Amino acid sequence: MTALRSGVSRTTLALPLLLFGVLALAAPNFLAPQNLANVVGQITALLIVSLGQLLVALVAGIDLSVGSVMSLAGCLVATQPDPLWGMVLALLLGLAVGIANGLGVAVAGIHPLIMTLATATFLQGLAYLVLPIPGGEVAPALRSLADGSLWGVPQPLLWCALCAALVYGLLHRSRLGLHLFAVGAQARSAQLNGVRVVGVTVAAYVGCSLLAVVAGVYLAARVASGDPTMGASFGLESVTAVALGGVQLTGGVGSILGVLTGALSLGLITNGINLFGISPFLRGALTGALLLAAVCSQRRKVVGL
Amino acid sequence: MQPSARTMPDTVGHVTTQDNRPDLVVLESVSKRFGSTAALQDVSLRGCAGSIHAITGENGAGKSTLMKLLAGVHQPDAGQIRVAGQVLRLRSPAAARAAGISTVFQELTVLPNLTVAENLLLGREPSRAGLLDRAAMRAEAQAVLARIGIGLDPQRPGGSLTVGEQQLVEIAKGVSTDAQVFIFDEPTAPLNRAEVDKLEQLLHTLKAQGKLVFYISHRLDEIFRLCDTVTVLKDGRWVATEPIAALTHDRLIALMVGRPLQALFPPRAGTPPGAPALDVRNLTPLAGAASARLQLRRGEIVGMGGLEGQGQREIVRALAGALRPAACDIQRHGRDGQPQAYDPRLGVAQAVRQGIGLVPEDRKQEGLYLDLPIADNLWLGVLRGLGLVRQAPRQRAVVSGMAEQLQLRASSLAQEVGELSGGNQQKVMIGRWLAAGVDTLLVEQPTRGVDVGAKAEIYSLLRAFVAQGGAVLALSSDLPELIGLCDRILVVRGGRVVGDVPAASATEEGLLALALVDAPAAAAEVPGVMAEVAA
Amino acid sequence: MSAELTGNGMLAAPPWRRLLRGALALPPAYAGMLVLLALAALLRPQLLSAMLLPLIARQAAPLGLAVIGQSLVMRARSIDLSSGGVIVAVSYLLTSGYFQVSDAVAMGLCVVLGLVVGVVNGVLIVQARASSMIVTLAVSMILTGIVVALSQFRAPGDAPEFLRELARLRVWGMPLPVLVWLGALLPAALLLKRTVYGRSLAAVGSNPQAAALSGLPHLRVVFIGHVASALISVLCGFILVGFVGKGSITLGQDLALNSLAAAILGGVNFGNGRGGMAGPAVAAFMLTFLFNFLTSLGLGEPGRLMLQGAIIAAAALAYSLNRR
Repeated sequence: MTALRSGVSRTTLALPLLLFGVLALAAPNFLAPQNLANVVGQITALLIVSLGQLLVALVAGIDLSVGSVMSLAGCLVATQPDPLWGMVLALLLGLAVGIANGLGVAVAGIHPLIMTLATATFLQGLAYLVLPIPGGEVAPALRSLADGSLWGVPQPLLWCALCAALVYGLLHRSRLGLHLFAVGAQARSAQLNGVRVVGVTVAAYVGCSLLAVVAGVYLAARVASGDPTMGASFGLESVTAVALGGVQLTGGVGSILGVLTGALSLGLITNGINLFGISPFLRGALTGALLLAAVCSQRRKVVGL
Repeated sequence: MQPSARTMPDTVGHVTTQDNRPDLVVLESVSKRFGSTAALQDVSLRGCAGSIHAITGENGAGKSTLMKLLAGVHQPDAGQIRVAGQVLRLRSPAAARAAGISTVFQELTVLPNLTVAENLLLGREPSRAGLLDRAAMRAEAQAVLARIGIGLDPQRPGGSLTVGEQQLVEIAKGVSTDAQVFIFDEPTAPLNRAEVDKLEQLLHTLKAQGKLVFYISHRLDEIFRLCDTVTVLKDGRWVATEPIAALTHDRLIALMVGRPLQALFPPRAGTPPGAPALDVRNLTPLAGAASARLQLRRGEIVGMGGLEGQGQREIVRALAGALRPAACDIQRHGRDGQPQAYDPRLGVAQAVRQGIGLVPEDRKQEGLYLDLPIADNLWLGVLRGLGLVRQAPRQRAVVSGMAEQLQLRASSLAQEVGELSGGNQQKVMIGRWLAAGVDTLLVEQPTRGVDVGAKAEIYSLLRAFVAQGGAVLALSSDLPELIGLCDRILVVRGGRVVGDVPAASATEEGLLALALVDAPAAAAEVPGVMAEVAA
Repeated sequence: MSAELTGNGMLAAPPWRRLLRGALALPPAYAGMLVLLALAALLRPQLLSAMLLPLIARQAAPLGLAVIGQSLVMRARSIDLSSGGVIVAVSYLLTSGYFQVSDAVAMGLCVVLGLVVGVVNGVLIVQARASSMIVTLAVSMILTGIVVALSQFRAPGDAPEFLRELARLRVWGMPLPVLVWLGALLPAALLLKRTVYGRSLAAVGSNPQAAALSGLPHLRVVFIGHVASALISVLCGFILVGFVGKGSITLGQDLALNSLAAAILGGVNFGNGRGGMAGPAVAAFMLTFLFNFLTSLGLGEPGRLMLQGAIIAAAALAYSLNRR
């Protein structure tokens, strides 16, 4: 039933497999356990944030503010000595941003790109206010959650699995999930069927921001400090991951498997850049090129924004 | 025949058959405006349980709007809605559902990325402990489809259904709820004969169960066959509510039109038509679909009709260059009489340069520049064929002359087109092509959402256009309009032109007979249509 | 434009009514400018001095130019956020001596770069129908990434003398960049009002589907807008490099977002444009003045960013509420 709207094709699955194969053969030390653990650790944040982007893409939206939300969440937990209070603050932030984005898009009719760009800029300023330069200290309790292993499984993997399971439950086992797909396909038809389009849209943006908060807290815990520009590249990278994974940015089609393959592909490319010794500054250019390729491969009727 | 004297809006016609049964739904003095257009003015209506109540009227009479008030899609500007005695504010379709009102809309709302089962139960999915109960969903969908006798696989994706199958799903959706009030808006438009029979059985069952069914249609034979009561609307106002037993065909038409039918349509041209403006020897709009042949000659208005979704729209759009046909072989004779090949695959700009203009059905989305003034809307037609850096000519005289010719009702030429009434907007669209100097007009639904006064003017415009050597192909789902306006009527079925009937001798029943098909729906429909619906 | 119609035509509203409606329909930039001038007169009158005002205008010139390009694409329901990348690339081309050519040739190369970027943007947006915000942001990312990587090998150097001179020059007391800005404004306004391109742009923005079905060259209109916008970014790059005096990888990074904010404040929005070219010009000056004003009051980078975001959101909200 759900293969109908997964968007996963042979090419989406082939890309990460191909990359894995190439790296395993050509790159030194790729298969070393330390390197593989690195890869997992690096893509965890991207995967979590991309799961959020998936929710929003399903309702034909986009959220460019996830990067700033990540940075701000990280700065919040790095400046709050009490880890619980830090988490609560960060989650409240995610809730507020998600509601603001969702209402702006669904009620005020502002284009999602504009709305989330505005929020992103505003929150970036706020992040600089909370923590002007990288620093701060993340409470040890949180730090221990980010690294190491639990019952033999690396913790980052557990974070990924937990978030993926939650989103899976939401999308395929709940009424809200079905409504997300419906609204993304044709909002008007969904509304005529009794689906509350505004509520569903706001829920998608709230889910996205909350997942961005989780990703930001994870990253900060991993590095044990905060950085106001930590999440800067994640906005466009999460869109790239989602688009590479067969999720239609026009709404209604997408799956967690797709997001996983997209995030994996991006992570493998980054790893490859490190292993091959290519200038890390080219990573941004490469991501940009991938984003272009991914976005051009999707069909759209509208020209422009 | 004169319409009866029941023209007082506040005395709803008390009909003898209804007096014995309780009123289930009462709409009292409801009004609704959209911008500057008054869609409904002071309409009152009563429906009782155990009745199939027809709502009829011409295009633009307000039937759909009235029912959309009951369906929760719009809210009345004035007046009250009472269901089972209680005053209700139906703020959304979900609220209407909760109030026991189930609607099958004219616009299909089947979602392409959901299965049939998911579409059927959307908005009222069965759940267990907060989670979707997929097994229950499958079972319930099977049960509903079986009960109605529709042999569809509940796991099929909505995007793979034909237009007729989608309509069946809509009907199943509507009927499978516990509602007390059912609204059907033109349900039989895309259905074949077998499917129509099925629907009629369903409706009789609902009536026997004591439900109230509102049935919007302007197919008179259906109304007389199915319904026990009919309410007539005209220009947004209530005209009459009478039991079917007390009416005849002609009396009903007279109530709907309110004036002799002849006065609406200008007389046909006496002269024989001229050279072919479009000689379509072969047109295959979609790969693998049927191919159409037709001729459109100068000096004549040719109508195109048939059930919905049979490929008429694809043919028209392909001719206009808006849909890239898979194959085509078309000849044209320009105003100068010289034959030339015409290839619509070169696009709309090329078609316009050759003198062919499309008036699209959805004028707000595809035809007009709503926030630009009337002058700009008219004048943009003149720009065709000019280079981009050329200074744009002012053409003030052309524009005001055109506005006079169109008999536009507006406060000034600077008024935004979005503020005009439907009829005036339609005139502006036609005016733009007249100003551009095209010689062939392809018109989709020439008078959708247009009031009667403007209708007559638009018909005169089209007739005057062809009298000067132009040619018009008019696609319409309004059979009386086709018969009254056109010289010839083409009936399309399955993407092919199956009938070419002189309008002077055509009848509604005859045209419908040509359009309906006895074979199962799947064989008759154009497969590629789904792509457009699903998009 | 007020040919009264016979028949049921009503007379137009009285002239004072039309004036009032006209004033209320003015873009927020005008009111904002008045309020700002008043506040500055109260709190920081030195900003209004004959010495500082031309300097602020000069600082606003690149933004003013960028807004012209942004208005063109926004009116066609598109957007161009690639100016950051283009300016960084221009700055590197001009100052790093990578190609060992004369200054004039380097500037010519920059123009070619602008053309290429504009064409790439245009083709991807018009043919592949990719989202213009994503495309232009991605192109900016690519350009910036390449420049930063190259900077590791060969650092940017000093700006060409010619440009530095131009930035300093004054004609009749007005800094040259401001004159360049005004000089570009007039043809742009004419283009919009008088040419077939301008009228087609209004149609394409108002209803792209209707434009397509009426045979207007809607794709070409969008494409040309993007090429023009990219070339204008190159011009902004020249001026900025002249200001700063040397190459920098952080040059012009906020120009894209500021041009979006200024365009919206100036009355231009996606698919329509009420302010002509004057509104966005006033808005560009207003924004620059605002940032200078707030900086003089102690506003730092965080505050500036928060304000930028708030302005964009508020302006978009106002536009969308107005449409209801």
